Amino acid sequence: MDFRFDIIVEYFPFFMEGMGLTILMSVVGVLMGCILGFFIALGKMSPILIVRLPFIWYINFLRGTPLLVQLFLFHYAVLPTLLGSTTPVISVMVTLSLNSSAYVAEIFRAGLQSIDKGQAEAAHSLGMNKFQVMRHVLLPQAFKRSIPPLGNEFIVLLKDSSLGAMIAAQELLYWGRAASGQYLRVWEPYLMVALVYLVLTLSLTYLLNYLERRFDVK
Amino acid sequence: MISVKHLKKSFGDLEVLKDINVDIGQKEVVVVIGPSGSGKSTFLRCLNLIESITNGTVSIDGVELTDKKVDINKLRAEVGMVFQQFNLFPHKTVLENITLPIVTVKKESKQDAEKKAKDLLQKVGLLDKADAYPESLSGGQKQRVAIARALGMEPKVMLFDEPTSALDPEMVGEVLGVMKQLAEEGMTMVVVTHEMGFAKEVGDCVIFMDEGYVVEEKEPKQLFENPQHERTKAFLSKIL
Repeated sequence: MDFRFDIIVEYFPFFMEGMGLTILMSVVGVLMGCILGFFIALGKMSPILIVRLPFIWYINFLRGTPLLVQLFLFHYAVLPTLLGSTTPVISVMVTLSLNSSAYVAEIFRAGLQSIDKGQAEAAHSLGMNKFQVMRHVLLPQAFKRSIPPLGNEFIVLLKDSSLGAMIAAQELLYWGRAASGQYLRVWEPYLMVALVYLVLTLSLTYLLNYLERRFDVK
Repeated sequence: MISVKHLKKSFGDLEVLKDINVDIGQKEVVVVIGPSGSGKSTFLRCLNLIESITNGTVSIDGVELTDKKVDINKLRAEVGMVFQQFNLFPHKTVLENITLPIVTVKKESKQDAEKKAKDLLQKVGLLDKADAYPESLSGGQKQRVAIARALGMEPKVMLFDEPTSALDPEMVGEVLGVMKQLAEEGMTMVVVTHEMGFAKEVGDCVIFMDEGYVVEEKEPKQLFENPQHERTKAFLSKIL
């Protein structure tokens, strides 16, 4: 079997461009997912059922339906209806943000609920209000415990951004499919795409390991 | 100082406190004893509203706790509490554990808070641990930090919920020593404990609780040497 490096060389700039977009969409997804996820976690922990219910179903829907279906739904139906028009990149970023927010919310909730009840009691007994207890006592501890599962979620999200190729967002896999289509070759483009994803996820793993050590204040 | 009238507390169908009436004067040290499940801890936790009050009234320094207009956080800042499990903040240093509530609740400057914290650490004999994390301390040291943290708020009353029950025996003395010193300085204290030696030596009054009631309330010497009720006698015969 011959291996045509020339295809990889020719498409290298596009792969790099696609990688840039993959990183951009993932970073936006992670950041928005964390911000939204935090508030959704708080909402889902409300003692009032009526407040809790919409958050429960938000999470149920986003965790219980395939990401690809969500992407099609947002790209072809929801966003055009809400915004009038959308682009593939915007659709991917919105879908990734919302999808990851559901998972991140559960990670934050688990982190917060794993903190011993005595911590909040002690803080309250010192006269701290709910906000201060959350800000100074519960969140820093919960965040530290959330780092390993959050890292997992980020890696999943980075890989899931490849679904963007299905709606022609010009990310990494998109260019792999383009190369494959042009030369009717399957090994070179898809191996190359896989390799780039692997480099990205491994880099992320190292970064997360570093963060875990950093925050592990002993 | 503290006046408890017809205090009742239920968790669902379970009535834990059935009718508690207690008056505690300024600078008084009240020791609460009783078998487990008698409601001693719940009683203590009602005094700073860590547990809500089902029925009855509690007033501290003239402030009615069940009054809806009461600022709960302000009240709690004036009632210090020390827990069996210490509940120090593990992500903060010893010094930060003490300064955090002073800065966030009392709104004092960081410098003032640190100075106050260091004075308190000196007092409990742990100034050299200021920059350590709670994890590296022994149980007795943790509890002394917890006491210093509560004192940082300059409370009018200190509540102790079995402060030595989670400690190795050789560390009990150092914590009781700090509490004794506090009592001698005139702090009003309510102490739930199984340390009968402490009750005898430091207590002005001992309350024996059983099944949600105050069974007997007397000076320590009288209660230990001449208990009136059968249940008090039975309890004391088991532990003395």
